[in-house]
Amino acid sequence: MTSIGTGYDLSNSVFSPDGRNFQVEYATKAVENGGTSIGLRCKDGVVLAVEKLIQSKLLVPGSNKRIATVDRHVGIAASGLIPDARHFTSRARNEASSWRKQYHGAIPVSSLADRMGQYTQAYTLYSSVRPFGVTCIIGGVDEEAGPSLWMVEPSGVGWGYFGAATGRGRQAAKAELEKLDLPNLTVEEGVKHAARIIHIAHGDNAGKDKDFELEMTWVRVDKANVVEVTESGVVKGHGRHEEVPKELVEEAEREAKKALEVEDEEDEKMEES
Amino acid sequence: MNHLPEAWGRPRDDVYGAYDHSHLRPSMPNQHTQEPIVTGTSVVALKYNGGVVIAADNLASYGSLARFSNMERLKQVGTHTVVGASGDISDMQYLFDTALEDLVIKEEYQNDGHHLRAKHVYSYLSRVMYHRRNKFDPLWNVLLVAGWDDGKPFLASTDLLGTTFSAPALASGFGASLAVPLLRRVCPDEESVAKISRERAIEAVEECMKVLFYRDARSTNKYTMAIVSGEDNKVDIEWKKDVELQKQSWKFAEEIRGYGAQIV
Amino acid sequence: MFRNNYDNDSVTFSPQGRIFQVEYALEAIKQGSAAVGLVSKTHAVLVALKRNAEELGSYQKKIIGIDTHLGVALAGLAPDARVLSNFMRQQSMSSRLLYNRPVPIARVVNAIADKAQVNTQHYGRRPYGVGLLVAGVDETGPHLWEFQPSGMVLEYRGAAIGARSQSARTYLERNFEAFPDASREELVLHGLRALRDSLAQDKELTTANVSLAIVGEGEKFKLYDGEEVADWLEKLGSTQSSRGSRGAQAAAAPAGASGSGEGGDSMEVDA
Repeated sequence: MTSIGTGYDLSNSVFSPDGRNFQVEYATKAVENGGTSIGLRCKDGVVLAVEKLIQSKLLVPGSNKRIATVDRHVGIAASGLIPDARHFTSRARNEASSWRKQYHGAIPVSSLADRMGQYTQAYTLYSSVRPFGVTCIIGGVDEEAGPSLWMVEPSGVGWGYFGAATGRGRQAAKAELEKLDLPNLTVEEGVKHAARIIHIAHGDNAGKDKDFELEMTWVRVDKANVVEVTESGVVKGHGRHEEVPKELVEEAEREAKKALEVEDEEDEKMEES
Repeated sequence: MNHLPEAWGRPRDDVYGAYDHSHLRPSMPNQHTQEPIVTGTSVVALKYNGGVVIAADNLASYGSLARFSNMERLKQVGTHTVVGASGDISDMQYLFDTALEDLVIKEEYQNDGHHLRAKHVYSYLSRVMYHRRNKFDPLWNVLLVAGWDDGKPFLASTDLLGTTFSAPALASGFGASLAVPLLRRVCPDEESVAKISRERAIEAVEECMKVLFYRDARSTNKYTMAIVSGEDNKVDIEWKKDVELQKQSWKFAEEIRGYGAQIV
Repeated sequence: MFRNNYDNDSVTFSPQGRIFQVEYALEAIKQGSAAVGLVSKTHAVLVALKRNAEELGSYQKKIIGIDTHLGVALAGLAPDARVLSNFMRQQSMSSRLLYNRPVPIARVVNAIADKAQVNTQHYGRRPYGVGLLVAGVDETGPHLWEFQPSGMVLEYRGAAIGARSQSARTYLERNFEAFPDASREELVLHGLRALRDSLAQDKELTTANVSLAIVGEGEKFKLYDGEEVADWLEKLGSTQSSRGSRGAQAAAAPAGASGSGEGGDSMEVDA
């Protein structure tokens, strides 16, 4: 059944006869036009990466950050309408802050994702608001679960992931993420894969002629703040969300570009034979 | 019988008489904190050429009872600042663990190259203190803020009234009477800060901690010291925790009259 | 009357995931006269073209001082700009009162961005109809931000908004590499040349229609109007657009409402 012209897609909170909420689906369209975001849950931390498309060379390089810190131990990467992503992170910061006031401790990432899912879902319930035009990847490390990664969609649905991808290059990114043995990777290895995946996702879609900046952050536990290391090497403790050091990003990007060139050459050989 | 929903689950008026609402509107005016309960005593701080030394002992007293002997009363705030608190311990814990922690996290997540330095933290604290006093519900503390700011050592205090005060040598509580005169001998004014070395400042503060332990009945012999040192815009904070007073001499006690097993 | 069913309000997504009401608000910026901003390592400069509704009327104010270290230039609905600039002044004051610190530019910009976003998500509100260039200096140096009604804010080395601002932007794109090391005077002249390029063919920069503001490290935000800009115009030399017939073509082009008219102006700036 098509949505357009039926009238069922003109207002939020309205079901169509076959049980769909079109405004939420349209919000998802806004996400699918946005730059790719990915998250990797490794055994000792989480990596977040975004493809930040550069609209104008007049923009200040390295400014206009797309990955936000929510609390010491949590970061959010988002694809879609950027102002909506700012609203989303602002709410997440309030949740994290009020958790600290109530419980005198850092909010578990799963609880934060759960609350943000509820908040997002509330914006699908009323005709007086519109859904969020963003899908957000929430990554962090906490005491109870160790590294954890969640993705909240405009519908309010939120799942936990080992590898999450959203935005215009999500399909290519997902295909690459599935090839990885994420539960056994370290964040250092994760950073290299993340850089490579963003480069692949960028080359795979319509905006590939545009310039982009790779923005990467990670959440890791300082040695002094480790609470427990499980048998499988999962690190639990007080994580810290911060930018991946510049040298590491540059190295990862160099390797990513090299890997892509090799792949291209192989493709050409395949075509020749 | 009253079947209206607001009466559900309530004692029946016909059995127990009308509900007594008087506790909802007490005849007395609202009363806030009138005195501190669990308290920390003096905080001592001194500027030197290149930084600030700040120290406070580890005792939390409940009245005259030495209740908790491992209570640290100094807190690092961001990268440039150490705050010391005397007075009510639970108010201090609210300030340190809730208010300042929230402040620092909110500053960190902006990620825009700006950082709260000592004068900003000090301004914030003094506004909070003054605001609470205007609500007639003060936070019962004297706070010393030590740090490195604008290429210079920073030291200032604020109290439960929101009073602000700055000097090269500061002490709160008993120390305001006992330590400040000693520190002023070392550092009478802002100009003399340049002549004081780090070692000299540490030594002077250690000496004050000792004198305070001799004469302040709410003090203890274990203390925490932080040394905030800076060079241009680089700041380093060295912590000395659980320091015990050295080379004590109680010989002077013999000279003191008025208590103990004295015959004359 | 409406172009389609999806552009009645700002709480309806189109099937493509666009919000037309927000995109139309972005068009309101282009109804306003041009404003240009640019930064060097030491200074931030705003220049703007003022318009008067009628010959005997006064010129509409284009640059508003917020604090001693920052100010804004506007294009679009001036009353909306007043609401936003009053809010920025409050933020600035509260930063000084609470933290004894001039508000960091990025934070006051983000504050109005968050305010604007809410108006794009709730029924019964409308998006702001004004674009701002925010120029200021803080502890991390001079900054220039562009604010859009969508709630989008971006930091630029040089930016132009308002009617015919594409021509000014073209000038900035060709010359921006010289901005960081430009002197105060050179930076202002770059700004005026960019603004001059946005003029219609029969127009010129005059002391009546140019507003100029400078803020720098150790130099307070100062707005120059009227005779105060005479010296600057003299230094500039020619006050007419140097683009010749290209200007006429740009002027003839109707202000399209498709959202694809001027680069980077649609809400989906991420795309």
